[in-house]
Amino acid sequence: MKRKIVLKLSVGLLILSILLTACGGGQSAPPPAATQPPAATEAPAATQPAATQASGATQQAPAATQASGATQAASPAAPFTPPAFTSQLSGKSTADGFNCPEPNPRVPVTSKELNLFVWTEYIPQDFYECFEKVYGISINYTEYSSNEEMDAKVVNGGTNYDLVQPTDYTVTLMIHQGLLQKLDHSKLPIFAELDPTYLNLPYDPGNQYTLPYENGTDAIVVNTAAVKDVPKSWADLWNPEYKGQMVFADDERTVIGLTLLTLGYDVNTTDKNQLAQAEQKLAQLTPGIKKYDSDSPHSDLISGDVNLGETWTGEAFMAQQAMSSIQFIYPKEGVILWQDNWAMLKTAPHADAAYAWLNYTMQPDMFWMMLTNFPYTNPDAGALAYAKGNSMPVTDVNGNSTTLGDVYNTYINSTITNPPLSVIQAGHRIDDVGDATPLYDQIWTEVKNGQ
Amino acid sequence: MNPYRRSPLIIASTLLVFFFLYAPIVVLILFSFNASRISPLFTGVITKFGSYQLVNGNVLQSPCGPFHWFCDLSKNTEVLSAARNTLFVAITSTIVSTIIGTMAALALQRYNFRLRTFSQVSLYIPIVIPEVVMGITILVMFSQLFSYLNTSLHLVGDAQLSLGLWTVILAHISFMIPFVTLVVQARLQGLDKSYEEAAMDLGANEWVTFQRVTFPMILPGVLAGALLAFTLSIDDFIITFFTNGPGSPTLPIYVFGLLRRVITPQLNALTTVWILIVLIVVFFTQRLESRQR
Amino acid sequence: MLKRLRESKSAQGTLLIVPTLIFMIGMLIVPLMLTLVVSFGQRSADGGVIYTFSLSNYIRLLGFTSDCPPGVQTCFTSLYLVILWRSLLLGLYTTILDILLAFPLAYFIARAHPKWRDTLMFLVLVPMWTNFVIRVYAWMMILRQQGVINSLLGWLAGLAHLPFKPLGMIYTPGAVLAGMVYEFLPFMILPIYTSLEKIDNSLFEAAADLGASPFRTFLRVTLPLSMPGMVAGTILVFVPVMGTFIVSDLLGGSQVILVGNLIENQFLAARDPAFGSAVSLVLMVLTIIVTYFYTRKFGFGEEIIA
Repeated sequence: MKRKIVLKLSVGLLILSILLTACGGGQSAPPPAATQPPAATEAPAATQPAATQASGATQQAPAATQASGATQAASPAAPFTPPAFTSQLSGKSTADGFNCPEPNPRVPVTSKELNLFVWTEYIPQDFYECFEKVYGISINYTEYSSNEEMDAKVVNGGTNYDLVQPTDYTVTLMIHQGLLQKLDHSKLPIFAELDPTYLNLPYDPGNQYTLPYENGTDAIVVNTAAVKDVPKSWADLWNPEYKGQMVFADDERTVIGLTLLTLGYDVNTTDKNQLAQAEQKLAQLTPGIKKYDSDSPHSDLISGDVNLGETWTGEAFMAQQAMSSIQFIYPKEGVILWQDNWAMLKTAPHADAAYAWLNYTMQPDMFWMMLTNFPYTNPDAGALAYAKGNSMPVTDVNGNSTTLGDVYNTYINSTITNPPLSVIQAGHRIDDVGDATPLYDQIWTEVKNGQ
Repeated sequence: MNPYRRSPLIIASTLLVFFFLYAPIVVLILFSFNASRISPLFTGVITKFGSYQLVNGNVLQSPCGPFHWFCDLSKNTEVLSAARNTLFVAITSTIVSTIIGTMAALALQRYNFRLRTFSQVSLYIPIVIPEVVMGITILVMFSQLFSYLNTSLHLVGDAQLSLGLWTVILAHISFMIPFVTLVVQARLQGLDKSYEEAAMDLGANEWVTFQRVTFPMILPGVLAGALLAFTLSIDDFIITFFTNGPGSPTLPIYVFGLLRRVITPQLNALTTVWILIVLIVVFFTQRLESRQR
Repeated sequence: MLKRLRESKSAQGTLLIVPTLIFMIGMLIVPLMLTLVVSFGQRSADGGVIYTFSLSNYIRLLGFTSDCPPGVQTCFTSLYLVILWRSLLLGLYTTILDILLAFPLAYFIARAHPKWRDTLMFLVLVPMWTNFVIRVYAWMMILRQQGVINSLLGWLAGLAHLPFKPLGMIYTPGAVLAGMVYEFLPFMILPIYTSLEKIDNSLFEAAADLGASPFRTFLRVTLPLSMPGMVAGTILVFVPVMGTFIVSDLLGGSQVILVGNLIENQFLAARDPAFGSAVSLVLMVLTIIVTYFYTRKFGFGEEIIA
């Protein structure tokens, strides 16, 4: 009888496969024609050396709309021109009909697999498909929703990931924990395409361990159609009127950090008294939080399950594209700045595949996909140059058909993905707090769980 | 009086509970035909066949028509690999745990040995403790063990010990053994010993008796235990969550991962297909069972 | 030696039990011991474990902490005890509701015509055969702001020209309760059905003959005989409810934190495996105590086997 059960199971699976293959595949967009990236470059990027917490200030200003900010000494005032990039097709395409470009340069690889540990909603599906097809390496990925979760899993051991995506302060922590290996820059020609504004930041001088991925801010997001009094500062979120309507990132440092800002303290304080006060203040806020969401907050906002709260650049942008009444407001106390990076674990079993992945996915004719999938502030000048004025038909974040050039214009003109210089300068960057980390962790446990 | 006549109260509450049981399933299946890509609203069924057209988040046209999300699902290689993993884990752990569990049941029921009480008690523990405790403790053990072995044996690269399908299988076997043992033990308890005694009187040694008499008699119990084990393994989430590694998700883990992203009706299509398969399999199994009777 | 094996019954028994012992010791006892050791440790700044012997994690669980407002040495916070209590209550409510829902259904099927019983039972099992996680997702779809219930109510209100404000059902404790009740209902139906089915019809006839009203029959005949099933069902429902974290994760938002969530949290975002281990062990001891006293009073209920 058991044999019969297995037989029937196989029959069931057979029926399933027939059913699925009968439907065949639908082509979503006609294959885009290969285009040469325009030789035009990005307008000047103003840089400021890290004098205070607000380090890594950037601006990508299109020549017409915003004037470039004044630069300070020790940084080149000249605009960054990415090297000319020739895009070639590989001849392979994804299930969606996207023609995968050829890796440029093609890196020698012997590994057959690659293990990635990445954020949810952060890597376009085509990255995986194209890489697998073009290099013949199969990708295994697991997702996480917070830096702490990622760090905990890696520290505990028993995992064999190659690449992870730590945010700035977590890079410092992981270097300190001895979890990361130094990157061999000779194997990463892709560095030439990146805007130097995002390189050489205080948490990883010389980019010994990391490669920038995406950049952004934490600020207030509001559905102005559902909320009467629009908040203007972090402190405004404590308004009892907002009770039960808010979404916050499930992120300990961000939430505790913004609370510290409302008290006038530093986001990286290690002072026990200040932290105790922050805990008390935060305890007044949490009953009003309906949901902690680091996975897909824009879905919550669009569906109306929440009406306002705190979130990241990309999520706010996607929400606004779907519902124009949703706005991203930079609070008076200052935003929290962050930058996500690729980093390689010391125990990475497939380092060569990892280098291939980094060079391939960040090359200009691939990385532009971040604009149409997960629009955060993009450090890849080459990709932006490729996207500008590009008439290739693409689908935007809402799934509507448009051109890549149009997507670029939306990106560059939006104050969400392209924040004003003043906002960046007034922003705060989170840093590793070393021995005070358990304090923050404990506050987070108590405040989050104390209902 | 008709012993099968029930009071209207019972009938009404039965219908209500059936409705409660099935309403979510019906909703799931219905929404697998939803035109809207992400909205939880049902905006209608896709009626037009043609090239893919998406306007304002609604699919207006699709090559597969109303079955658009099923076609979308068929392009999803990850689902099939997750399904493969799930089946592989379930089948392997079922076979191993059934054999070990049956042996344990025989030992506990028929023999007296020193570690008897200890075994009985330790077999009850996985049943009465929450899965999260078991998952956590196993994770703690594997993490410490792997860290220690990897550094002391200088294992690097792919040779490193790490969490993967095999750790999931080991964990599944561990929590399935008690259930199988329980089922087979119950069956053994109700067994009439006279058959075995007769066989032995007729000159059969113990091994032959077991093969020809005992085992066929407990077979229904063994199979019931195997089926229970299989069900537990396929549906397991918590223990798998703590013991699996990159790139080898089982279906429940994969579905949970999907839930954390933008949820499209592709997930509903997956549910519908799953239910269909289950219906077919169970239907055939029932037919076979009734035919055997 | 083989001859000795053949003759000694004790040796045979031991041999049969060896594989089981390997698994139980290796995958259950040893991990539990290890977790016990970790629970006495302290968390290192990096999120690892410093192996010492300290009861601080258990003291923290009981609510006494040294992390107090300035000037106070130790203070009491009922935070973790509240979480434990909340989980126990949820387990209790879920079990009671499941019994109430399962009993009429199980009774109906058990006393239905034999040729229908299998089909009806099969119908009960089909939802259970869908994926656990997917069943929770179904409830998300039903309870959301724009979900099924709100859409239906909105449409009805529209017909009656009444103003309608969508009900905020999801991310509430009620949503979590509904999800739990639904998830574990089949686990209650099965054992109750099994014990009800074993009741001989003649018992009911005898009771009727002796002049008992249906209600009296139920109280004196049906209920006591269905006890084993209810006990088994209770164990199958109560224990998982205490430990599940997905239902409260997906349906509770941030509002409902159960012990399962706390444990999962400590091993992931909060990076305090020592404290997480302590909580796990306390949870385990609690469930064993509750189960022990419960089965002591009502019997173990071997009807776990359908």
